[in-house]
Amino acid sequence: MLDVEHLRKVYDGHGRSVEALRDLTFRVGAGELVCLVGPSGCGKTTLLRCIAGLLEPTAGRTVLEGRPVTGPPQRMAVVLQEYGRSLFPWMTVAANVELPLREKKLPRARRRELVATALDEVGLADAGTAYPWQLSGGMQQRVAIARAVAYEPRILLMDEPFAAVDAQTRADLEDLVRRIWRDLGVTILFVTHDIDEAVYLGQRVVILSNSPTVVQEDLTVDLPAERDQLTTRADPRFTKLRGHVYEQIQRAKAGT
Amino acid sequence: MSRGLRRLAATLALPSLLVAFWWWASADSTSYYLPPLRQILSVFPRVWTVDRFETDVLPSLARLAAGYLLAAAAGIGIGVVIGRSPVVRGIAEPGLEFFRAVPPPVLVPVLMLFAGIGDQMKIIVIAAGALWPILLNTVEGVRAADPVLLDTARSYRIGGLCRLRHLTLAAAGPQIFAGLRQAVSIAIILMVISEMFAANEGLGFAIIQFQRSFAVAEMWSGTILLGLIGFGLAWAFRLVERRVLFWYVGMRAAARDH
Repeated sequence: MLDVEHLRKVYDGHGRSVEALRDLTFRVGAGELVCLVGPSGCGKTTLLRCIAGLLEPTAGRTVLEGRPVTGPPQRMAVVLQEYGRSLFPWMTVAANVELPLREKKLPRARRRELVATALDEVGLADAGTAYPWQLSGGMQQRVAIARAVAYEPRILLMDEPFAAVDAQTRADLEDLVRRIWRDLGVTILFVTHDIDEAVYLGQRVVILSNSPTVVQEDLTVDLPAERDQLTTRADPRFTKLRGHVYEQIQRAKAGT
Repeated sequence: MSRGLRRLAATLALPSLLVAFWWWASADSTSYYLPPLRQILSVFPRVWTVDRFETDVLPSLARLAAGYLLAAAAGIGIGVVIGRSPVVRGIAEPGLEFFRAVPPPVLVPVLMLFAGIGDQMKIIVIAAGALWPILLNTVEGVRAADPVLLDTARSYRIGGLCRLRHLTLAAAGPQIFAGLRQAVSIAIILMVISEMFAANEGLGFAIIQFQRSFAVAEMWSGTILLGLIGFGLAWAFRLVERRVLFWYVGMRAAARDH
């Protein structure tokens, strides 16, 4: 599905170059939900932008379904952290969700149908005529998710999408991501700095090192597929995995 | 009192006060150049007849509209091109700064040489002055578009006309309107100035004629008419702006409340 091969990114500027990503290799299988977690400042966003085709890597490449990524790929949708700035404030919620579909040249009836289904999926069936700035932060992020869902991507990239919402909203949105993933069978790569969130959501957690970044560990999360905010988080296995990831990240920070 | 009435009262309070003050202060004026407001208003209906509107005011307003629209189209069009590309910006900026600094009235004699003394010259003068605030604000607005929004559009492969209309122009909208608003008053000034040289009709021409024939009250009535036109245009402009930028107003109000 998605192969990241020896990805390296060096930022050059003003006589000083910064190596953000050193050598990253991992793969995401079709239909998987993989979380990327790492210490803050480890280049998670740089990595995601390279994978999304928004940034050109210095070396290495990303291959999506057999084709190297050179620009934003056709069947990939991205949800960014800054929900407030990723929605078009001059458009209604429905128009925001619909805009990428227009660019896909879908007929009007099909667009309407996709928009309605996607808004329903995220629990905003009645908010289509509202403007983004009339909604709460959590609802705005739901709109961004609906836009990604309506786009019918094969892979969904999420860059710390819930870092800026409150804890309760966050738990709801985490369950929403799990549900969408199971309902639609889409592949999801979810970037976060929150260890609990990574273990709770993912089938696998890819732990990144400190910058210049390499993969510190690729961990399989052997929790039951049915997850629940209460029981899963109380599961001793969850606690153990979480502790392990935490330890790895501490080691990553110390540089060992 | 309803909200609408209260707002109307607030809008009219200062102008009424100023008019009252002018009336009172000039009531006993014996100065030849500053006749009493009473006298100016009494000549107003006599001077600004339907006939005069047809021969002087409407042609002026038509040239104003033509020059303004020309400036808007060119300013927004060129502004988008310059704003979107740092390379073009680097090349164009010194030239822009130079031409912006040239006061358009000095262009009138030059323009007369190759554009004649007809409507064409006057429209070019109006456009040449009104262009700059629109152009520079468009450049700034396009350049300052939110990178997160640009990334979002790119990742959804939104390009071409769709991007121009729904992203570039919309995002720069508030800045473009700021430029358009400044351009209205500049265009009015240049409308008058362009009629001061080698003209035989127009609002500016009429006012100059009155001045030269020492018809002082008539001259002042023309000045008042100009003011009223400016006021009317500003008011119409705000109606359009409020319709187009309602989202901006709403968003800012929402940001204040949080």
